[in-house]
Amino acid sequence: MALSELSLTIERGEIFGLLGHNGAGKSTTFGMMLGQIHPDGGEAFIAGHSVQRERAAALQRVGAIFEAPAFYDYMSGWENLRFFVSLTGLVSQDRLKEAVRMVRLEERIHDPVKAYSHGMRQRLALAQALLPHPEFILLDEPTEGLDPEGIHEMREMIRYLRDQEGLTVMLSSHLLSEVELLCDRVAILHRGKMMFCGSWKSEELRWKLDLDHWDRAASVFQSAGVTVPAPGTLLLPPEVDMADVVASLVGAGVRVRSVEPVRVTLEDFYLEHISR
Amino acid sequence: MRLFLAQFQGELRKLFARKRTFIGFGVFLAFEFLILFLLRLERVQASFRRVVENAGYGSGDYFSGLTIGFLVVVWTVFLLEALFLALVAGDIVSKEVEDGSLRMMLCRPVSRGRILWLKGIVSVFYTFVLTGFVMFTALIVGFTYKGFGALFVYEPFEKVFALHEFWPGLFRYLASFPLLSLSLCTITALAFCLSCFNMKPSTATIITLSVLFADTILKNVPFFESISEYFVTRRMSVWVHVFDPRIPWEMMLENYAWLAGINATLFLIGWLVFEQRDFKS
Repeated sequence: MALSELSLTIERGEIFGLLGHNGAGKSTTFGMMLGQIHPDGGEAFIAGHSVQRERAAALQRVGAIFEAPAFYDYMSGWENLRFFVSLTGLVSQDRLKEAVRMVRLEERIHDPVKAYSHGMRQRLALAQALLPHPEFILLDEPTEGLDPEGIHEMREMIRYLRDQEGLTVMLSSHLLSEVELLCDRVAILHRGKMMFCGSWKSEELRWKLDLDHWDRAASVFQSAGVTVPAPGTLLLPPEVDMADVVASLVGAGVRVRSVEPVRVTLEDFYLEHISR
Repeated sequence: MRLFLAQFQGELRKLFARKRTFIGFGVFLAFEFLILFLLRLERVQASFRRVVENAGYGSGDYFSGLTIGFLVVVWTVFLLEALFLALVAGDIVSKEVEDGSLRMMLCRPVSRGRILWLKGIVSVFYTFVLTGFVMFTALIVGFTYKGFGALFVYEPFEKVFALHEFWPGLFRYLASFPLLSLSLCTITALAFCLSCFNMKPSTATIITLSVLFADTILKNVPFFESISEYFVTRRMSVWVHVFDPRIPWEMMLENYAWLAGINATLFLIGWLVFEQRDFKS
C-alpha cells in the first residue's frame, strides 16, 4: 500500500514540509490532494471542499508543481502558459506577464521550452502554478536538480510567496536542510505511514555538559527543573538560563569543565523518527 | 464558448506543433507521386484500358484527373491513412500521460471528461483534415497529369462500377469527402480509446492497426461473405457507394449509424477507463 492512515491538517499561511524516503508516499499524497490518484478510502479537503467529490471547487485556488515539470517542448514558455491557463479560465496578458516577471523569465519566455535548463523549467512551472492567483500551493520536490543558486532562488521565492502574497505552501523535499530553513511544521512519512506531524523544533534547549560529580549535580538539576535525558546531556525549559544552572552547580561545589549548546538538526530529528 | 474555443485552439496548437502530425501529409504527397509514376507505365495503362473497354466505353474519356484522384484515394486511405490516424490518435492521451504533461493539466480544476472530450474533438478534426488533404492533393495531382475529364469508378470488393461525366463526377468526389472521413473516424475512435488505457502510445497504435488488418483479412475470406456485416471495415467501406449511379442512401445511413454507435461506445469505454486511472510520476 502506497499510503496508509494519513491524517494531517495544514493551517492557512504556513509552510508545511512533507519528508520521507523515495517511495514513502509523498507524491501519492500530492496526487490525492490534486485528485490525480483515487484513494481507497478517505478524503482530502482544500478550503472546505472535498477533492474527491468537488474537485473543481477544491482546486479553484490551488497551484502545483512537480519534481520534473513536463511542458510541451515544441512550444514556447509563453504558449505553454497560455495553454495551461486556458484549461480553467482566461487570464489577462498583464497577469501572464506578471507571473513571468515574478519568476524572472521575461527574457526567455518566447523561446521553445526544449531550450530551457532544468531551473528555467522549474521557474516556468512555478509561473503556471501562480497564474490562477492561488491561495494554496503544492510543491513536489521544488529544488530537485537545481544548482545551489537555483535552490537559493527557489527558497527566496517560496518565502516571498508566503510572506508577501500570503500563500499557504506545502512542499516535499529530500533536502532536509532546505526544509529546515523553510518549514514551520513537517510530517514525516515512512513506508506509507506518518511517523510524525508537527513542529520539529523543540521549545526545550539541549546542552552538553562535562562535570566531575554528576551525583552531586542531580539535586541542582532537580531544583532548577532541568532533565537529564542521557548521560552528559541536559534539557532546559525555556525559562531557565544555563548561566544560572552553572552558577548553582559551582555553588554546590561541582566543577564544570565545559558547557556546550547542542543544536538538533532536522536530519537528527528525521532519522530518530524513522528508526523508531 | 470562448473558453471552449481557447481550449480547442490550445489542443490544436499542440497537435500541429508536433512534427509527427505532418508525417502523414508528407507521406501521402510522396505516395501520390509514386502512383502517378506507376500509372504512366504502359502495362498499367493497358490494364486500365481493358477494364473500361470491356464495359463498352472509350478508355480515353475516362482516364482523367478525377479518375486518378479517385484511384489514389481508394487504394491508399484504408491502409496508409489508417496508419497515420492510429499514430496520432493512439498517442493523443497516452503520450501526454507518458510525458507527464497530463499531470500538469490535472493540477487545474478541469474535469477529466472535459480534457478527453477536447482531445476527442481534435482527433476527429485531424481525421477530416488529413482525409481532406489526401483527397484534395490527389485531385490536384490528377488534374495536373491528365486534366479534366469524366470519372471512372471501379471498386471490386464493394462491387461498385460507375461512370460519371466531369461535373457529376466532381460532385460525387466532393460528396465522398465527409463520408470517407466519417468512416475513418472509427479507426481514430479505436486508437483514441486504446490511448486512454495504461499503455504506451506505440502499443495503442499497433493494436489499432492489428485490429484493422485482422478485420480486413477476415472480411475478404470468401467463406465469411455471409457474415460480412459483422466486420467493421466492411461498414467503413460503404462510403464508396456514393459513386453508385443510384446512391443507396438507406443502406449507407444504416452503416453510418452502426459506425456512430461503435465510435460512441469506444469513446465511452475510453472515458470510463480514463476516469478510473491514477496518474503518478
